[in-house]
Amino acid sequence: MNLEEYRTVFAAGSLVLILIAAAPTLGLIVPFPRGTERFSELWVLGPNHMAEDYPFNIIFNETYRVSVGVGNHMGSSSYYLVYVKFRNQTQPLPDAVTSEPSPLAPLFEYRFFVADGDGGTWETPLTFGILKVSHYNKSVSVGRILINDVVFLVDTPASWDSKYNGFYYQLFFELWLYNTTSQSFHHHNRFVGIWLNMTS
Amino acid sequence: MTFLVLVPQFFVFATFAEVSEDDAASALANAEGALVSAYQAALKAEEAGADVSGLLVRLNEAGGFLAQARIAYRLGDFDEAVRLADLCSESSDGVGNEAVKLRLGVFGPRVMGFWLTVTYSLVGVVAVVLGSFWGWHFFKRRYFERVLRMKPEVSFDES
Repeated sequence: MNLEEYRTVFAAGSLVLILIAAAPTLGLIVPFPRGTERFSELWVLGPNHMAEDYPFNIIFNETYRVSVGVGNHMGSSSYYLVYVKFRNQTQPLPDAVTSEPSPLAPLFEYRFFVADGDGGTWETPLTFGILKVSHYNKSVSVGRILINDVVFLVDTPASWDSKYNGFYYQLFFELWLYNTTSQSFHHHNRFVGIWLNMTS
Repeated sequence: MTFLVLVPQFFVFATFAEVSEDDAASALANAEGALVSAYQAALKAEEAGADVSGLLVRLNEAGGFLAQARIAYRLGDFDEAVRLADLCSESSDGVGNEAVKLRLGVFGPRVMGFWLTVTYSLVGVVAVVLGSFWGWHFFKRRYFERVLRMKPEVSFDES
């Protein structure tokens, strides 16, 4: 190697060392993009806190228990809203493609804050029961539903499902997230639900 | 006598019902505003590097009150809605103030940490630059000395 080539090697080595020395300050000033995906989890567990034994065949005036939970991986503490809604098979669910929530009115709701990260979860038990059901020829109508000791009038009819032989309803949970920029809640495009068979 | 008894009852009922519904809507709006403001203060404290886990516990308590207040409002129980919304507002106010204190508490050490980092980096960069110049000059001198020590030889290619 001649002297010019040695000088190039020296300059390159010095530049690398300068970058290493300046890296801590650059890390504070330059906003590096986060590589992790931001998302939230929403789940419903059965009475034994497992993803099994969900209430299905409903007996009137009996109380059932599930757990609802949310996990936060949004990069900061988040303000969530969970709406509890009740529908028959023909009423609309949230639209996962357009991110639109179900137009049905919420019955119960939870508002809570969850820290970000692996330990950032929120979970609560939910008890429910069907209090009043009217039977007709080939349909039923659920009149009142109890959720966490609060009675709600629903008056929701359901026709006989000849494919699955029963009268089916769904108790479902919609997740909403507070957006600090728009200063309002937005449907977070997450929902889960449990099917309820009212045939008995 | 009957009139005297009935009139106050009617009056009390009419006044109670009218005020309660208006108050409920207003109290819910105030509670939501107080809760959001407390949350934003907590977020700022979190961004500043403060541990906000205690604040989140209290925010959850306030959020629980607000959710119950909204349910009561939807069910037409405006008295309960106002009571719960007021509880939410009271809880939220305390959280906002606490969040500001936490943020200010971590501000000083954070600024100090920032300047320490900048100082270390500057010292490092200056040391590298000076070291490089010194190293290059040392290397260059050794290089020329080595070149000057070389003995040129004349050779002939006889092939």
